[in-house]
Amino acid sequence: MGLSKDNLILYIRSELNIDMPLNGDTELFSTGMLDSVAMVGLIAFVEDKAGVRVQPGDVTLENFDTVDAILAYVQSLD
Amino acid sequence: MSDDFDRSMWRLLADNLPARAGKIAAVDQGRAVSYAQLAAEAGRVADWLARRSIRPGDRVIVHLRKGIDEVAAMFGAWKIGAVVVNVNIRWTPAQLAYVARDSRARAAILPGKVLEALAGDHALPQGTAYLVQGKAKGLVQGADPWGAPAADLASAPDEPDPRGLAMIIYTSGSTGAPKGVMLSHRNIRVGAISVADYLGLDESDRLLSVLPYSFDAGLNQLTTMMLVGGTVVHQPLTMPAEIIRMAQAEAVTGIAGVPPLWNQIVRLLVDRPTELPALRRITNTGGKIPPNILELLPQVFPGVDIYLMYGLTEAFRSTYLPPAKFAAKMGSIGRQIPNAQVFAIKHGQGIAGPGEQGELVHAGPLVSLGYWEKPEVTAQKIRPCPELAHLLGDQPVVWSGDLVRVDEDGDLWFVSRMDEMIKTLGFRLSPTEVEDAISQSGLVTDVVAFGVEDADLGQAVHAVVTYLPQGDETALAAHCARTMPHYMRPLRYHSWPGAMPRTASGKLDRPAIISAAKAALN
Repeated sequence: MGLSKDNLILYIRSELNIDMPLNGDTELFSTGMLDSVAMVGLIAFVEDKAGVRVQPGDVTLENFDTVDAILAYVQSLD
Repeated sequence: MSDDFDRSMWRLLADNLPARAGKIAAVDQGRAVSYAQLAAEAGRVADWLARRSIRPGDRVIVHLRKGIDEVAAMFGAWKIGAVVVNVNIRWTPAQLAYVARDSRARAAILPGKVLEALAGDHALPQGTAYLVQGKAKGLVQGADPWGAPAADLASAPDEPDPRGLAMIIYTSGSTGAPKGVMLSHRNIRVGAISVADYLGLDESDRLLSVLPYSFDAGLNQLTTMMLVGGTVVHQPLTMPAEIIRMAQAEAVTGIAGVPPLWNQIVRLLVDRPTELPALRRITNTGGKIPPNILELLPQVFPGVDIYLMYGLTEAFRSTYLPPAKFAAKMGSIGRQIPNAQVFAIKHGQGIAGPGEQGELVHAGPLVSLGYWEKPEVTAQKIRPCPELAHLLGDQPVVWSGDLVRVDEDGDLWFVSRMDEMIKTLGFRLSPTEVEDAISQSGLVTDVVAFGVEDADLGQAVHAVVTYLPQGDETALAAHCARTMPHYMRPLRYHSWPGAMPRTASGKLDRPAIISAAKAALN
């Protein structure tokens, strides 16, 4: 089924209980909206949907702070 | 020495002036303040509190993301002699509202977004004063924006009794509602003095603060730096790569963490070794690091002193293992820290000797004032120890509920929470022992072991695990059959999808994990 902007946003909204306005460039971690526990779940979701392995060193703000950044990072792995 | 114990929390900051006025006290990403600037920021908050008629002894909620503003809010409250109730920013509006009501807080310093969420069921009493950080549109009545207190008026500080209440730390109740542990000015100051002593901290130190200030061990990074005139570097993000990046960029000399964090950091540094030339020491508290991760610590942090520590919120901080003993005693919690008295007690018999086990008890100036407005629970937890009457008389001690083993040198090893011991086939088995053996397999990230009532065995050993990509039940069961005695092997493995829940201070939320696994059995 793959990773898409829509299912990523849906996941963050429903599974991580975020009911604030959320779009591709909303900062998730640098603003404190999400925490480390959410991060672990988010990585598992990304790995599962995109069929990729996220290396620990890749878990940075640059790669994970927005939905758009996550999608760009996953694309760079292909 | 004890004269030095009896000073207020405000003095911890203010005593750095004027000598260190220009020295950097605290650093956020993209912002730094000197001691003079920090004292002025705190002074502004103090003036605001006074203007809103907050008096000495009143409780003030501080609920902010880790940073300079949070520190200024805490010291502002202390300057007027108020009691700080720091509520972890990760807690929900419902938890925040519970704590605010339970402590009968008269003021709250918090982000605008959180204040908006304190409506309906979560609304706080009329008349609560709010100081709001960040963008605040259409503030409710009684709320002032962060910038409202104009300039520090340099008002005279309150002079509270150092033995009086300074802070209430609410521990997220795994069972029942959160309880507030009451710490005096003296408790916190002696904690800073003791920890700075054994860690050998001085004004050249720059400690990284990742753990929350609402947690006793996290608070120590701040209080020790204020005590010795060093610098505290804030990292509100708990992403390992960001923590290491900041440690490198800010040349930090110390990092304090809890086991799940070290687990992640070690995996990162194995994958991507990073030089941290300024780093002198790392410390762990809040539980045992799995043995496979412990063994990797000296490799990923070459030449760095490793301190394993143990503390109870009710006694602030209790024991540590000196780094010189790390290689020989990996996993031990060592002995009492300076100014504390810690013993292992065999109930009804006396002090546990080498090779024996007993309940850890803690006496001395770090023993807290007990639980906020819960005298019965306090009397259960903090009471005299008949087995120590010959040494301490009827002086109250904290009964930890933790079972420890005393080794031949007198160093302590954590065995188990006393109420989590598994009784199986006539053996008394520590879940930690099972968890360590399972971690050694290298097949799992998280593991929790527990006992389930069983007609034949007494209790059966169950293990909840989160598998690494290379792990599965067949491989893990084979590892356990190969390496563990029969009575210790889990009868049943529960696979946990993804990361296990953690408490706000980063520890595994054992009761939640165990009850979910038990529920799945039925």
